[in-house]
Amino acid sequence: MKNHPIPEEEAEKELDSIFHEIKQVFRVSGVNLNFRTWATYPKFFPVLWESIRPVAETRLFEESSNHIRALAARLAEKLPRLDAPTSVGLGESQIFQIQAALDLYHYINPKLLVISSLVEYSCQHPTMSEFQSQRQDHELIPRGIPLRMYPMEMIDETPDDATLRRTFRDIQRTLGLPGINSDYRTLALWPEYLVSVWHRLKPVVTHPLYLETALTLREAAQQMASHVLPRLTVPEDQLRILGRKRTQFLETTAQFTQLLPPLIINIVLISLDWRSRQDLERSPFPIEFSSPVLETST
Amino acid sequence: MTWREFQRLQMVSRVNDRFVSYVEAGDGPPVILIHGIPVWGYLWHGIYSGLARTRRVLIPDLLGFGFSDKTDCFNRSIACQAHMITAWMTQLGIPRATIIGHDIGGGVALRMATLFPAQVEALIVMNTVCYDSWPIELMLQFGHPEAHRKLSASLAVRLLRQALKRGFASSLNRKILEGLLAPYSTETGKLSLIRNAAALNTNLTTEITHLLSGISIPTLVLWGMEDRFQPIHYGERLAKDIHGSRLIRVKDARHFLMWDQPEIVTKHLLDFLDRTVPSRPLLV
Repeated sequence: MKNHPIPEEEAEKELDSIFHEIKQVFRVSGVNLNFRTWATYPKFFPVLWESIRPVAETRLFEESSNHIRALAARLAEKLPRLDAPTSVGLGESQIFQIQAALDLYHYINPKLLVISSLVEYSCQHPTMSEFQSQRQDHELIPRGIPLRMYPMEMIDETPDDATLRRTFRDIQRTLGLPGINSDYRTLALWPEYLVSVWHRLKPVVTHPLYLETALTLREAAQQMASHVLPRLTVPEDQLRILGRKRTQFLETTAQFTQLLPPLIINIVLISLDWRSRQDLERSPFPIEFSSPVLETST
Repeated sequence: MTWREFQRLQMVSRVNDRFVSYVEAGDGPPVILIHGIPVWGYLWHGIYSGLARTRRVLIPDLLGFGFSDKTDCFNRSIACQAHMITAWMTQLGIPRATIIGHDIGGGVALRMATLFPAQVEALIVMNTVCYDSWPIELMLQFGHPEAHRKLSASLAVRLLRQALKRGFASSLNRKILEGLLAPYSTETGKLSLIRNAAALNTNLTTEITHLLSGISIPTLVLWGMEDRFQPIHYGERLAKDIHGSRLIRVKDARHFLMWDQPEIVTKHLLDFLDRTVPSRPLLV
């Protein structure tokens, strides 16, 4: 990810409109790193978004993401527990807000993994066909940020606090992140809590079962992209817009599909300190459908 | 007390689809302290423990302020804040309380006293917004929708810190000033504060002018005499319009009188509360 992601507040004109639409369609209170990074390809990004939008607002996409979330909850339960809150004296409101922040990322991260996998797959297999909204599973989901969703509030990437700066560097190095992700920047609103969580999470991320879990999630998302969801309409001539940056864009997207599974697992592991596996298998912001399209059991 | 220590004391309530963070301390007749803009409940941390010796003190962060809900999709006007406080009181099982409001928190208190008098035992307003005394120029500029793009969070906090200094007669500890603005140092916090500033509306105090003379509960108007944001003549007008109210002018104090003269302010608050809402039933 060589380009510096565009902060939400710096988006102007067409990009500002697209960022707004992303929040509405993805039902999320902020624009995540994927989109802010893809936005650094200014000619291609509007084309890409036009192809993502019709898929992302379907029930099929929502339920594909629900499937990944449920799978992550079941698999992560087998990993060591963190028990982080016991070491930090948190207040009632702080606990409430941490849980709300975790719900936000527990909701959006699986959606980001599925869409990144779909973008990767579709760019590798460009098509000329248009997306067809005919099947029953292309029923549209309601647009808009859920009323009770926590805002995607984050502290600066380079915080004033020296302990936080060190923790950010350690997270980046250990997880191989090109930048510090929104999840950790949000949890840094409660610095002592983040430090405690990371101290306990760090040894887990090298556990063989953890790595296997991440791989399973990645493969499940790839399966969704190649066999369940309709391919994005990214015609070859549109990909040419990228010119020499095409390889860089594909590498960046592939990097997201690698980095998101650990982020999903980490949020589940942190959330398991507060919630049951059964709770975490469900979407924190469910949409009422008459009958499920996908079975979520293994 | 640092702002982090104060934040750790905060509890939380769901009010409809929003959440409210608040600090509660002490036991006795309930007293609710409402802050103004651009600060949060931490404003009161220097004086609340004095009140909590004989009172049940509750300090909410208004919606969109401090560590209450800061999502970007709801009305933050003082009219809505007054509804929120009354709904929150009901949720906590508090039918009636003394309301103490500062700045726009005073505007909330005035609306409660005029529109929901059954829930207000006594009223204290401190350097409050009233009539057409507000919004001040700084907040008008800050509330412009473009401010979100023109100001980074760090720049916004620096500008506010500079501007707020004019609200203190004494030179304030830098840590306290940083604490008062801490919740707005992120982009989300900044945007929320901009939305709060955009919601400032003179009409919401001018429209209750004709109701002020109908306030029949005990009322104290406490004013830092050297306030440059809300000049003393507004306090004088308010005290005349609310029959039976008392105006106390606090010398060597500006807008943030609870910081300029904490002992004097606490003494006046306790004197008034002891006379109007005794902490224990009087023996006959």
